[in-house]
Amino acid sequence: MEEIEFKIAPESKIRKKPSYIKPWLGLKYLFKRPVTIKIPYEKTQIAKKYRGFHTLDWKKCVGCNFCGQICPARAIEMTWLEVDGKMEKRPHPKIDYGRCTFCQFCVDVCPTGALGFIESFMLTTEWKEERIQLFDWVPIHPEKFKKLQENYNDWRFPVEKIEFNDETKEVVYHFRDGEIFKFKILGYGIRPPKPKSGAKRVEKKA
Amino acid sequence: MVAQSELIKEARENGMDLLPLDKDTYELFFGPQHMATENFSIILKMDGHRVVKAIANPGFLHRGFEKLAELRPWHTNIALLLRICVPEPDVPENIYSMAVDEIIGWEVPDRAQWIRTTVLEMARVSAYLFWIMGLSFKLGVYTAGQWAAAYRERLMALFEELSGARVYHIYTIPGGVRRDIPSDKWLRQLKDTVEYIKSKLPDFDHLVFENYITFKRMEGIGVMDKKFALAEGVTGPNLRAAGVAYDVRRADPYLLYPELDFEVPVLGDGDALARALVRRYELEQDLYILEQLLEMGPPSGPYKVEDPRLKNLPRFKVPAGDAFAHVESTKGDFGAYVVSDGKNKPYRVQIRGPSIAHGVRVLEQLLVGARIADVPVILMSLDNCPPDIDR
Repeated sequence: MEEIEFKIAPESKIRKKPSYIKPWLGLKYLFKRPVTIKIPYEKTQIAKKYRGFHTLDWKKCVGCNFCGQICPARAIEMTWLEVDGKMEKRPHPKIDYGRCTFCQFCVDVCPTGALGFIESFMLTTEWKEERIQLFDWVPIHPEKFKKLQENYNDWRFPVEKIEFNDETKEVVYHFRDGEIFKFKILGYGIRPPKPKSGAKRVEKKA
Repeated sequence: MVAQSELIKEARENGMDLLPLDKDTYELFFGPQHMATENFSIILKMDGHRVVKAIANPGFLHRGFEKLAELRPWHTNIALLLRICVPEPDVPENIYSMAVDEIIGWEVPDRAQWIRTTVLEMARVSAYLFWIMGLSFKLGVYTAGQWAAAYRERLMALFEELSGARVYHIYTIPGGVRRDIPSDKWLRQLKDTVEYIKSKLPDFDHLVFENYITFKRMEGIGVMDKKFALAEGVTGPNLRAAGVAYDVRRADPYLLYPELDFEVPVLGDGDALARALVRRYELEQDLYILEQLLEMGPPSGPYKVEDPRLKNLPRFKVPAGDAFAHVESTKGDFGAYVVSDGKNKPYRVQIRGPSIAHGVRVLEQLLVGARIADVPVILMSLDNCPPDIDR
């Protein structure tokens, strides 16, 4: 093995001498301002491209499931949705924020640029009554999200309440500005859900 | 004098688990809730306040990284593997990316190499600040620890701007980096931060490294000699403090390190104080490296490899082959061995972590004969990373 030349630092530079007086020099910081900020009275600054919540342009989404395949936490599942009685032609990603690691690889792979992200990041709520279950979140349009963020400017989630009906699979988003958005989950997976007659047959067999 | 059995009885009544071994010795569970051990536990056999035997008891953070990495697409593994070492997540990202680059045969663009080197050095500085915080908390100098946390915050803000996240950056990917440098303002901010931290180093010296309490508490404890360190495979600052000049950045240069100038600190004492002083000097050198990098400036060009295959990341396939890449982290020599069989998932990812070398067997040896108050100090002077031990 050939010898490697390390530029070794002189020992005199590394060694220190113990001192009884120098530790007291730290007292000068008593007369300086603290670096901490008072949350929630003061706000932290968020970087411009902070990896926060997802946004989805439903019209652009082609339902290719690239996001579901790349997701390291397997938080994304494709869902078939029905809005105002009309079924969406393609499935849309549904995000489980209990699993999401906010790596945003799903945004990187999105071929049409439908999936995006916004700086909002607050997963917590202030009071117990405000709690929202974020296991089945179909992201909303980026412009809607941006508008809500600009109005409230606190990096919170855009909804106040999510109603989820276990039987009819109807979901109601109550936005913070009072708007209500309803849709129905028809099924999960890449393939379209089977018609109701098919489901009945399975029941009979069982 | 209270009889031993009565003491044990009293301890049991209060829910304490002091197991009597014989008349004078008892067993003490140190951690994992203890602040000093950070999700790591040591079972100590004590004779009075001296340690007779120490048994490292890791495993509280086991997540099976290496197996999980075999089940996920190539790029996705970045989001997983960086959790191996929380204080410096860029190191696992980089070793994995460098190994994958080598298998594919990609030549990473100059700009990406510059960014990677800068990010690695920033991670080193922030990890050393984090370590100063830990050490000063264990020594009882809480003020210095809080300063270190505050200065680290500046680097975290820079990371946030660069990568979009504060702690888990998920920034370096095979073939380059995920985002370009945000703006020239970011470079200026980095320069200011480097200067700022450099100006604050004397304060740390005054309070921690030149404090007579530090010398009283750290001198001569946990002595590790050269032979023992080499036999156990200890690397990094711990090995340099034992008197061996070895640094991966010089021994097996990677990225831009051949062009950079820095000194390798070596001390022959091998005790806790030597380890602390070596780390202190390395922090200074890392800031010096960052200054050089900023003087160089980022070269123009693309920040990641342009390859049509990258458009379909879930189906991205790496040709069959294997590669090993390692970097110098603040803990030591961090390496990854990646094997591909030509599919869209790795066949095997093996991580060579530094903490397993100095965090288990070496720690057990060094703790013998130490006072109970010195246990956290020795543990912190070794600077182990519990998630890396468990993996």
